Amino acid sequence: MHTGAPVIAMNRYLNQVRAIVWKDFITELKTRELFSSMFIFALLVIIIFIFSINLSIVKASEIGPGVMWVAFLFAGTIGLNRSFMLEKENGCLQGLLIAPVDRTALYFGKLISNFSFLLIMEFLILPIFMIFFNIDLIPHLLPLIYVIFAGTLGFCTIGTLLSSLSANLKSRDIMLPILLYPLIIPIIIGSVRMTSQVIAGEPLSSMTNWLSLVLCFDVIYIAVSIMIIDFVLEE
Amino acid sequence: MDNLEYLFAANVFVWGGIFYYLFRIKKYQQSLQNDLNLIKEAIKKGSQSE
Amino acid sequence: MSEEAKQSSSILIWLTALAFLIGMAAIFIYVPTEQMEGAVQRIMYFHIPAAWLAFFSFFIVFICSILFLWKKEREWDIYALASAEIGVIFCSLVLITGPIWARPIWGAWWVWDARLTSTLILWLIYVSYLMLRYQTEAGSMRARFAAVLGIIGFLDIPFIHFSVLWWRTFHPPPKMISPEGLGAGMDTSMVATLMLSLGAFTLLYFVLMGQRIKVETMKDEVEQLKKDHLYSN
Repeated sequence: MHTGAPVIAMNRYLNQVRAIVWKDFITELKTRELFSSMFIFALLVIIIFIFSINLSIVKASEIGPGVMWVAFLFAGTIGLNRSFMLEKENGCLQGLLIAPVDRTALYFGKLISNFSFLLIMEFLILPIFMIFFNIDLIPHLLPLIYVIFAGTLGFCTIGTLLSSLSANLKSRDIMLPILLYPLIIPIIIGSVRMTSQVIAGEPLSSMTNWLSLVLCFDVIYIAVSIMIIDFVLEE
Repeated sequence: MDNLEYLFAANVFVWGGIFYYLFRIKKYQQSLQNDLNLIKEAIKKGSQSE
Repeated sequence: MSEEAKQSSSILIWLTALAFLIGMAAIFIYVPTEQMEGAVQRIMYFHIPAAWLAFFSFFIVFICSILFLWKKEREWDIYALASAEIGVIFCSLVLITGPIWARPIWGAWWVWDARLTSTLILWLIYVSYLMLRYQTEAGSMRARFAAVLGIIGFLDIPFIHFSVLWWRTFHPPPKMISPEGLGAGMDTSMVATLMLSLGAFTLLYFVLMGQRIKVETMKDEVEQLKKDHLYSN
């Protein structure tokens, strides 16, 4: 009896989160709008970078990680912007806020769906990146996955919070990157550094400072978001 | 080493910045005070005519 | 404003003016010229207090943002706005005076040194904070969003500090950068002058805060009067 109540509450909470993630996935499977625009945009960013840098002068392994993360960042911003805008357009957000759902569940649901869309997109971009930049990523794939995972999570924690905020603004398209980019500079620096070290063949243990910085960022911003999401999603 | 012109430039920016900000605040306060007076006047007139 | 408040605010203004007068005398007459850097070293007596004030203002924004979300009182929102604006002004002054000092000393206007870089990022965060405030119409939503940004922005500072610090260490430091030797290589007269200047600038912060807060309260008063009397009939 004693342990029953919290478990039931927990299950209910997880069900709420799952419902939101499920809703996002079904919408996406129907329209494929978000995913295709993110993917093509990331591809375009990489191609434009290839035209703007002279690969015969610059070493691909030095410039590559930066280009890769810029592409992820830009595509991720598009994804974040679209994801809350879709909710706003059809009054879906209104419905979600009226529904007896915990606001933090809403945040986690959005976080998980944003995070997974971005991850899927990133892993589809990786082979293209590998071919275009002529960098062999296969031997370093496992540490690279860790790095991409940690960096993308950091981007999504704060990005989900800010996109739920900027969805209510008139100039939301431009305000999201303006608010988001200065705040995630630590994540960007850390991810790019770690990626270039991984590509250079160094083990993860040689970059514990970066790894702990990025993981700390993830944890702290998830905690902060839980504490203040109620104030953002207030009607 | 003589680099007085740099010191001078820095001072121009610092004092220019601070005084410009103060000046703008003061102007804003004045225009708001004007608005306040106008509104109060209008309210007085309105209550008299009634 | 009550008579008493008016009196104390004018006392504060005169005190600040006096502090600046003494401070200027100390900076330009009393303190000896630095041997290595020459006259330009005197910029530091503005640069360091401005940096301190910028950081102090952002800390006040953080505190006021938390208090606003907690108590939901309009005054905390006003304090946060005023402090953020003053912080951005002083941060801009830091970013302007820094390169002016660096040009004759380091030989370059801008070096991607750790401290310069993190100041620039800090400036960007609070400029975006102000943009959010200016672009949203007044109301509870703006206050809440600004408070949220004020909190997450300040929490970002340690991350920025460490990431930029480690980022730089991957490159050999430019020759001219040496630790600025704060306190270590400083004459007592220099420390005293710096302290005076710090005090004067801190007083200035409170003067500016008082004036900026007055603007907001007056704006509120105008809005209130309009709502009560002009729109109703």
